Amino acid sequence: MFEFKLPDVGEGMHEAEILRWHVKPGDTVKVDQPMLEIQTDKAVVEIPAPVSGQVSEILAAPGKISQVGDILISFQTAATSNAAPSAPEVKTAPAQAEAESKTLVGAGVGGGPNRVKAAPAVRRRAVELDVDLAKVPPSSPDGRVLLKDVEAFALNQANAPAAPVVVSGNGHAAGFAPSVPATNGHIQAAPITSAPTFATTPAHTAPAGGEERKPLVGLRRRIAERMELSWKTIPHASCFDEADGSGLVALRAQLKPAAEKQGVNLTYMPLIVKAVVQTLKRFPVFNASLDEQTREIIFKNYYHIGIATATPDGLLVPVARDADHLTFLELSAEINRLSEGGRNRTLKANELSGSTFTISNVGSFGGSTGTAIINPPEAAILVTGSLKERPAVVGGELVKRYSLPLSMSFDHRLIDGAEAGMFLAALKELLETPGLLLLNAV
Amino acid sequence: MVVGDVTTAVSTLVVGAGPGGYVAAIRAAQLGQSVTLVVDGPLGGICLNSGCIPLKALISASRRFRQLNDESLQTMGIQLARASFDWGQMQAWKTGVVERLSGGVAKLLAGHKIEIVHGLGWFLNEKELRVEGEYGSHRLAFEKCLLATGASPRELPELPFGENVLSAQQALALTELPTAINVVGDNYVALELATLFANLGVSTTLLAGGDKLLPEVDQAAVRLVQAGLRKLGIQVVTGAQALKMDGTELVYTAGGKEKRLAGTVVVSHGVKPNTGKLNLKEAGVKTGPDGELTVNAAQVTNQPDILAVGDVTGQTPLASVATKQAKVAAETMGGRKVAFAPQALPRVAHTTPELAYTGLTAEAATQAGYEVVTGRFPLAANGRGLTLGSESGVALVVAEKGSGLLLGMTLVGPQAGDLIMEASLGIEMGATLTDIAEILHPHPGLAEMTLESVESALGLAIHTL
Repeated sequence: MFEFKLPDVGEGMHEAEILRWHVKPGDTVKVDQPMLEIQTDKAVVEIPAPVSGQVSEILAAPGKISQVGDILISFQTAATSNAAPSAPEVKTAPAQAEAESKTLVGAGVGGGPNRVKAAPAVRRRAVELDVDLAKVPPSSPDGRVLLKDVEAFALNQANAPAAPVVVSGNGHAAGFAPSVPATNGHIQAAPITSAPTFATTPAHTAPAGGEERKPLVGLRRRIAERMELSWKTIPHASCFDEADGSGLVALRAQLKPAAEKQGVNLTYMPLIVKAVVQTLKRFPVFNASLDEQTREIIFKNYYHIGIATATPDGLLVPVARDADHLTFLELSAEINRLSEGGRNRTLKANELSGSTFTISNVGSFGGSTGTAIINPPEAAILVTGSLKERPAVVGGELVKRYSLPLSMSFDHRLIDGAEAGMFLAALKELLETPGLLLLNAV
Repeated sequence: MVVGDVTTAVSTLVVGAGPGGYVAAIRAAQLGQSVTLVVDGPLGGICLNSGCIPLKALISASRRFRQLNDESLQTMGIQLARASFDWGQMQAWKTGVVERLSGGVAKLLAGHKIEIVHGLGWFLNEKELRVEGEYGSHRLAFEKCLLATGASPRELPELPFGENVLSAQQALALTELPTAINVVGDNYVALELATLFANLGVSTTLLAGGDKLLPEVDQAAVRLVQAGLRKLGIQVVTGAQALKMDGTELVYTAGGKEKRLAGTVVVSHGVKPNTGKLNLKEAGVKTGPDGELTVNAAQVTNQPDILAVGDVTGQTPLASVATKQAKVAAETMGGRKVAFAPQALPRVAHTTPELAYTGLTAEAATQAGYEVVTGRFPLAANGRGLTLGSESGVALVVAEKGSGLLLGMTLVGPQAGDLIMEASLGIEMGATLTDIAEILHPHPGLAEMTLESVESALGLAIHTL
């Protein structure tokens, strides 16, 4: 009997949701055949069969949250009947034992001068989270690595691009791409694990059948955690305006046939993104973020624009990276690709992280406008309402024209109301006269 | 438990009930595992039943007796009529201490609903263990198996254990006190045994093979310990090579000459891992050259479901190491990610004066690549030391030059074994000399030795010039 346990497929991961099985009890499987899809914090990871054999039992049903180390599936293997250990089990451990035994006890145990200064509880956490302490940037000036440093580092690791999983027999995953901090080593978010839980809410009584409880799992849970983090740490303020949309409508109508000839469906979003990027360049603090630990403002010279996308499972924010370096056409194609990937849940973790500013097109969701919660650690988020004909007073006359409601939520620690007003005014000018974008087009 | 050759499926199987095994069993139970403990011998293992605890009990009792005859009492104005002791009663008291502790372990195991199987266990294959005991044989199929079978006293080839050559454990269980005892060894157990018997007036010789006692310890501290041994009347012979026993006489060479000594011989020459009877081959578990079980930092052997902790791994044979490894192993079996990776290993020798050390000596730190700064403070300059009537002692601190990162501490003096933990905590926390210097220390107190040695390393000692 070979039992397969949930491996740690991304440094720092503790649990994952079982999405779907590609095998069922009784199936004969070959090693490395696609077996299971799991959902970690962000990405969907496919896990291949660890051995060849017959599936005996599936112990984790789709929808279940499994902890790392939980048994997910068992197999009858050829090796099982011989009562000999299956090959991968014996292969990996001895080398590991040999390498690690050197770090064990001697008369004096401490490491050499490269020892990382960290308290025992911090070192323990690093082992738990699979974090190499030597790689963790210490937040304290004397080089001491703190608990929060380790946890933030682990979170960044978890957000790093996922690579194909190769599972060795003892339940550890190998073959990961080195972690790439998403935003120049900047810490993306406070450790989610420290978020308080409300599990202790006293059970209230409800008539039988009057309510149904479902676990907060998967993407919904991730969204809940991010929103909670944002709302608790960022003092939000909002401002509103409305742009004359006639210029946008005219420009899109003009460009659309040409874009279609090149196979790209042109929407308003790339036009809005281009206008936003140019405005961000004029007002850099809107593309910045606050490093909670060092209390420094990080100004970024890259423009990764997150675009809130509704999916059947919930809100995702795919990221158009380096939006300022893309042509209109390239940007259009990229946004179309991302929104489709978002809806189909085929995006990789790195396509869903690292944005520097986010746009939420509430108009496309059906509302006329709304306010948004900032996508941490960003400084602001823009909401565009529905672009449609509305009455307006122009030169004392009541006229009918296209208008685009704008709403922006900003981190009031970094941005004052006056700046936010100026930002929206500048953006509005570009949206109303989109030809101005050409002046600064790359 | 089913008796006979019926296979019983157990979840977590722990073999051995010493400070590694019973602690692992309890921690595993705390983590929700269903635990079966295979016990061959008394609960608590060597440490509790025939090693550390009996030795410390007898040393304490013998030291109390010895102090009654100390001349310092007279200078304090205390006069005593001739004191005497009864070795049999002292042994009975020791046994009482051991039984109380062992009973405590039994209660803890019961309280955690740990199933106990008595008998000797050996592997049938990598998933099953047979236990053969007084009441029959059990065949246990385990999910995870933790081996904590300890180690046994290592013989010297020239001096095999026998009627006149005892292990430390046998010496502690002597029913009659010999008139002369010859302790062969240079480790802390040898020094403690010599101290114990000399305290009781036994003519004691300590024979060390090398030119140093406790070679891994800062020799400035060892010199004070050695002076203490001499003060108790112990003959310390270094460079002594034991040749053989000739009847009741020990034949050895020292300084190029062959010599003879009458008396009971006690050999303390380290330990040998107990793996011979485990039938490890059937389980596919590999051992090192000394029969030790090689483990990784999570305490796992080359077989992913078989773990090992404590003396059987061939690592420093200390209960503190075994118990910490036991907790790590229990968590590993529970699916957690953990590692045994201490920065400092505190050690104690219950000599008079007491010795304790942790972390690196100046020599070891230099070899490890550090540029070091050291500090020193003598007990004779410590107010509390003088009020206790103790003068022999010292605190020696080692830190990294520049950063002041605390690397090691050696203490000689009363309660050194407890006082060492300030430095051990400091090393584990990555504390600097300044961190320690900033902390208030009670006055008058022995802990001020640590403070003053640290300030001496900073060039700021108040009570030394």
